[in-house]
Amino acid sequence: MTCIRKGMFGSILAAALICSVSSACSADDFFRVQVAPILERHCVSCHIGDDAKGNLSLETAATVKAGGDSGPPIVPGNVDDSTLLEMVSGDKPLMPKNAPPLSKAQVEILRRWIKEGAVWPDGVELVDRKFAGQTWWSLEKLTQPPVPKLAENAPQAKWVRNAIDAFIAQEHLKRGVEPAPEASRRTLIRRLSFDLTGMPPTPAEIESFLNDQDPRAYELLVDRLLESPRYGERWARHWLDVVHYGDTHGYDKDKPRPFAWPYRDYVIRALNSDKPYARFVQEQVAGDMLFPGTLDGIEALGFIAAGPWDFIGHAEVPESKTDGKIARHLDRDDMIGNTIGTFNSLTVQCAQCHNHKFDPIPQEDYYRLQAVFAALDRADKTFDADPAVSQQRLELQARQRKLNEQKKELDTKVAQLGGTELAELDKQIVAADRPDNSPLAAQFGYHSSIEPTPDKTKWVQIDLGQSAAIDAVEVVACHDNFNNIGAGFGFPISYKIELSDDPAFQTGVLAITDQTERQVPNPGVKPQHFPVGGKSGRYVRFTATKLAPRQNDHILALAELSVFDKAKRNLAVNGKVTSLDSIEAAPRWRMINLIDGYYYGMGQAARGTLADLRRRRDALLVANVDAETRQTLLENQQQLAEVAMAVARLPAPQIVYAGTVHTGSGSFAGTGANGGTPRPIHLLHRGDVKQPRQEVSPGALRAIKSLSADFDLPLGHREGDRRAMLANWLTSKENPLTWRSIVNRVWQYHFGRGIVETPADFGRMGSLPTHPELLDWLAVEFRDGGQSLKQLHRLIVTSATYRQASTAPRAKEFSLADADNRFLWRMNRRKLEAEAIRDATLLVSGHLNPQMYGPGFQDFVIEKPEHSPHYQYNLFNPEDPASHRRSIYRFIVRSQQQPFMTTLDCADPSQRVDKRNESLSSLQALTLLNNGFMVTMEKYFSESIEAEGSDLSVQVGKAFLRALGRLATPAELDASMAYAKTHGLSNYCRLLLNLNEFAFVD
Amino acid sequence: MNFNLQHLASRPSRREFLWQAGGGLGGIALAALLSDSGVLSAAGGDPLKLRADGGLHHAPKAKRVVQMFMAGAASHIDLFDFKPDLIKHDGKPSDFGEPVEAFQNGLGPWKKPVWEFKPYGQSGKLLSDTVAPLGAVVDNLAFVHNVVAKTGVHSQATYLQATGFQNPGFPGMGAWVSYGLGSLNENLPTFVVLPDHRGFASNGPKNWDAAFLPSQHAGTMIYPGTETPIADLFPNKRCKFITTAATAEALELMRRLNQDHAATREGDSRLESRIRSYELAAKMQLAAPEALDISKEPAHIMKLYGLDHGVTTFDQEINAIEETDYFSRKCLVARRMLERGVRFVQIWSGNDNGFPRRNWDSHEDIERDHGPLSMGMARGASALIQDLKQRGLLEDTIILWTTEFGRMPSTQGGKGRDHNPYCFTNWLSGGGIKGGITYGPSDQWGYKPLDRDHPTQVYDIHATILHLLGIDHTRLTVRHNGIDRRLTDVHGHVIHDLLA
Repeated sequence: MTCIRKGMFGSILAAALICSVSSACSADDFFRVQVAPILERHCVSCHIGDDAKGNLSLETAATVKAGGDSGPPIVPGNVDDSTLLEMVSGDKPLMPKNAPPLSKAQVEILRRWIKEGAVWPDGVELVDRKFAGQTWWSLEKLTQPPVPKLAENAPQAKWVRNAIDAFIAQEHLKRGVEPAPEASRRTLIRRLSFDLTGMPPTPAEIESFLNDQDPRAYELLVDRLLESPRYGERWARHWLDVVHYGDTHGYDKDKPRPFAWPYRDYVIRALNSDKPYARFVQEQVAGDMLFPGTLDGIEALGFIAAGPWDFIGHAEVPESKTDGKIARHLDRDDMIGNTIGTFNSLTVQCAQCHNHKFDPIPQEDYYRLQAVFAALDRADKTFDADPAVSQQRLELQARQRKLNEQKKELDTKVAQLGGTELAELDKQIVAADRPDNSPLAAQFGYHSSIEPTPDKTKWVQIDLGQSAAIDAVEVVACHDNFNNIGAGFGFPISYKIELSDDPAFQTGVLAITDQTERQVPNPGVKPQHFPVGGKSGRYVRFTATKLAPRQNDHILALAELSVFDKAKRNLAVNGKVTSLDSIEAAPRWRMINLIDGYYYGMGQAARGTLADLRRRRDALLVANVDAETRQTLLENQQQLAEVAMAVARLPAPQIVYAGTVHTGSGSFAGTGANGGTPRPIHLLHRGDVKQPRQEVSPGALRAIKSLSADFDLPLGHREGDRRAMLANWLTSKENPLTWRSIVNRVWQYHFGRGIVETPADFGRMGSLPTHPELLDWLAVEFRDGGQSLKQLHRLIVTSATYRQASTAPRAKEFSLADADNRFLWRMNRRKLEAEAIRDATLLVSGHLNPQMYGPGFQDFVIEKPEHSPHYQYNLFNPEDPASHRRSIYRFIVRSQQQPFMTTLDCADPSQRVDKRNESLSSLQALTLLNNGFMVTMEKYFSESIEAEGSDLSVQVGKAFLRALGRLATPAELDASMAYAKTHGLSNYCRLLLNLNEFAFVD
Repeated sequence: MNFNLQHLASRPSRREFLWQAGGGLGGIALAALLSDSGVLSAAGGDPLKLRADGGLHHAPKAKRVVQMFMAGAASHIDLFDFKPDLIKHDGKPSDFGEPVEAFQNGLGPWKKPVWEFKPYGQSGKLLSDTVAPLGAVVDNLAFVHNVVAKTGVHSQATYLQATGFQNPGFPGMGAWVSYGLGSLNENLPTFVVLPDHRGFASNGPKNWDAAFLPSQHAGTMIYPGTETPIADLFPNKRCKFITTAATAEALELMRRLNQDHAATREGDSRLESRIRSYELAAKMQLAAPEALDISKEPAHIMKLYGLDHGVTTFDQEINAIEETDYFSRKCLVARRMLERGVRFVQIWSGNDNGFPRRNWDSHEDIERDHGPLSMGMARGASALIQDLKQRGLLEDTIILWTTEFGRMPSTQGGKGRDHNPYCFTNWLSGGGIKGGITYGPSDQWGYKPLDRDHPTQVYDIHATILHLLGIDHTRLTVRHNGIDRRLTDVHGHVIHDLLA
């Protein structure tokens, strides 16, 4: 029987027919049909495997017999001594833990089974069937319910504007509530503007809407706002919350991630262009595979890499070490949590250590998803934005490959014909051509401090320890490619070399050479030799009187200063170097490099000349290789050079930080060297990298029955095929989660609460939908109606439901049953998010810089960038106009979050934020009152009002209108005037931006 | 009145929720909008309601916590965990009896403790000379020598000790305590952090973040003695137009305008809470500078903390006087905070693991870095414990000394030691802790716990501290993305042997 390995359900129909009605069946069948299902459904999910609860596994007869911490649970035939029965029966049974108790009938079955000897048929192994036969709303097939028809005489019937309202009204009727009246036009335009663009309407926009006589004025306003580029900026912020986007890596050191922003720009573009949702999803998971040669198809892959990255765990710890394995495991964990959480609203990460406790996600499915991303790392991905360039590069690379293959063949042929003589010659050429890579090569020499003009005198000198007779002095200049200078770097235009026994060179100074009146041609790295003729001295000083030009500045640098005695011994080697000044930047630059016996190119002479070797080689080829082959070889060389030139002429490729096959060195090697072959993924027992179990294949979640989750990819498939399969699985019309998830998210941002209150969790630990039919209706409407987010917004915001006032006449009464306003008998008042506060402040102050796209503005100063950058927000000047862009363009640091925005509950970029916290605290009050950004903007605000002229009372009224979108009442105006007269308009503007009315939207 | 500053949003709303449940409106909606998960998640933990005795689930033994964090990984075997075998075998090739994966290349010969150990107090506990000042309070300390980390990577290990999880996105212990118990005062933050003034440890402020808890539960950074000890406490200096009178009158006019605004929007207590938040902000502006001002501390207190050294400029090289000045000053400020009702103070020693070392990551030279750092730490910690004791505050204040992991008993390069994530030391003191004891020994080398099957994990330490505060660590939960999160994840046992 197949059920021996696969558990008990389903394949025992025959026995069931006997046992279900009669007690006269065999003991084996009784176990299979009656007992096993109870255990598999209610007990085995915890009592299974190596880490069974209480160390008791109920999988097999043997494990039951072995028992757990409290001994064997069953004594066959003895009901009283069987602890199993004790656990599951009584008033408050201890088992099943955290679940409803077994029914009396079920307990009776267990009792009878034990009484009759607890027969466990040979070979039967139980499996976890906690979720067998159960359904769950979010996993059910998606079908569009009919729009409810309200009775014509129902009070709600006239109120309904579109299908949404019909669903809402139906619930209203059921619950005895009625909708609030429509909000005023003034309220609606402020609500819509913040909702769709993240900013308040200007007084002129309000005025124009209030006076618009067009019966479709509201719809036109909606269209205008949806067409505004500000829309994409607003809604991209919501999306970036969900995918936990940031501009630094997070974790230790928290280094900047300078090319994260192209993904942010992609999201803004995609939303503004109203990209169909399926394509939006597909591009982010596998754009490179499904839409090759497109900019969006690459930049969207920033999604996979959006979250934090453990720099140390990757860059300093190789995959062979445990800590390195953990880092990479957690990295993939973040990728799949991001993917499934964002698009499917399931908590797949709970299945990392064991089967999901609440939802039908086996541990294996979790690792199947890890296998989808197993080839990837987070890294900068270079690409050509222009498809034409991309195509050219591909063609050139193909040509290069072909020519190289031809070259290889030709080389083999030539090597055969040239014999050992050619081989020997080639070896010598390679040796002579090798760049100087001795271990000392990094030690450039001595480097003075930097001067703005060449006329400063600088010296460096050697103390030989005692006075000595000197035969010659040799000096060599440096080689540094800085500013393309190369050989002769830092060698002065005028100089002298002197000898003395006085370290200060005040007395007894002997000139070795004096070039102070000349402009000496730069000698390159050729040693400069000066005979001394046996004169004695303890100190040798090199003095520059006209410094070498560098880059708009001037220096003295020397590679080597040697002092030879008659026996040609270099006395300087044991000396001590001093100088007027020195830049000590080991290993390249430091004073001791002057006497370390090393300088650039010192081995050159010994190697013989390269040109001579090459001439000999050419002669050898003429003698041994036929003319035709030589001609082909020549053409091959020329063509390769041409291709290389053509590649160099292409525009530089672009970069996006993305999930990509990485080719690196050292600890962070990536899979590039293996051609992007995915790392093998094993199921990890208890999520422990030290306990790998069976290897798993890539696949999706099997919980969705209507859709195949097996990829069945052929051997040798590309890594991207896995992601492409997942992208197609996610965007299949048969995947009910994808469509329910996105319409719920959009609904949440409009109303403050989703139809499902837990946007990231559509599982059993999440909330149930308040309006399940509306959710499905919207999901299907969206899925089958072009997947236009803008159309979805339009549908929602033009509904009567959305247009309600946020106060309701019968609020007290209705809140008795629905204090939460879950059934939307009024609009929810919204507290502005951090970005909306900041952007509104910029706009109101007249200082909003509308520049779109590109690298983010940094509202901090970076100190100590070399190790762990210190992001110092307090050192930043808030008057810097570069920072007056919308908050979506802020450079987002993970570890040191922007304090102002964080206090105002902005999203934590280290975690996926599906719904922002909303808090109120004295720290928030302090930051709004005192933060540099706020007070600076308040100053600008008053200046821009004052610039419009007129007297203070008019200015006060204007400021009030601009900040709050309405005219001040006479009483408000009086009080405001009194204040502004005493303390000035700036202080009044500060007051306005701290009002509740500024921070809330009705 | 035990009104509660940090819970301004949550606590009054909870009260209003209860108060309004009969006839008012919006209570639940309000709490939901405030994401006050503890109130709402019927399936996700108990509603938060303090008992009359100040505990959440049972009577507390302590009310306040000081957490001292040695960033970079302090060496247990050079400070607290005496290993005579290392002296006996000093310089001989190390042999751990099993393959060891070192973080760098720290498997050189056995290395004896850098300093001598001497017995102190009635307990006779052996302490290294470099932490000698702790000898004065050793009978108040409970040592745990078998704490284990899960990783030798600083970042993950620091997260684990600070938040109970190895990856970012989880609240610090102080944030949990603030969320669970609220504040003891209305003028100062509930959870205060005194970072090393030279820079942050690994992960920076993420170690004391509120994560998915409301933002007011995040640790508030304080830099005593600097121009702006608390961010945004006073108007940014760049702006000249603000005067004290302008602020005071603005607050008054705002209150009136806000009240008029709220009057037409009945049932939304957020509006009332926000009005109150500005009143409390003004109170904090008065209270905070006073709390931070140590200039009026008497001479004997300055002496106790080692702050009577009279040195005003310090050497370039790391030195004990400077370290004492920095760490002790934080300890003294901590005491003033605790006295004024701050519930949780976190003191950091050591910046990012860069160079020159001002942190405990002594790969190169234990003596050079650990010497001054531990001398300063011991002086400050000892003074704080004595000072709290003489004020009667030690009995309900818990002090936890911790670090991200230990250091190897073998050398790295002769003078240094590599990471040892397999074993390190914590000590606790104060409210409800049994003093003068040593719990959970390490093995003969200080390499791993003696009983490898029963190590102490950070979850156990956290569970014990929450227990002393009157919190059942399994019941203080918040549902986040479908999981009932808690400080101790799915682990943790109260260590009853540590309890007085």
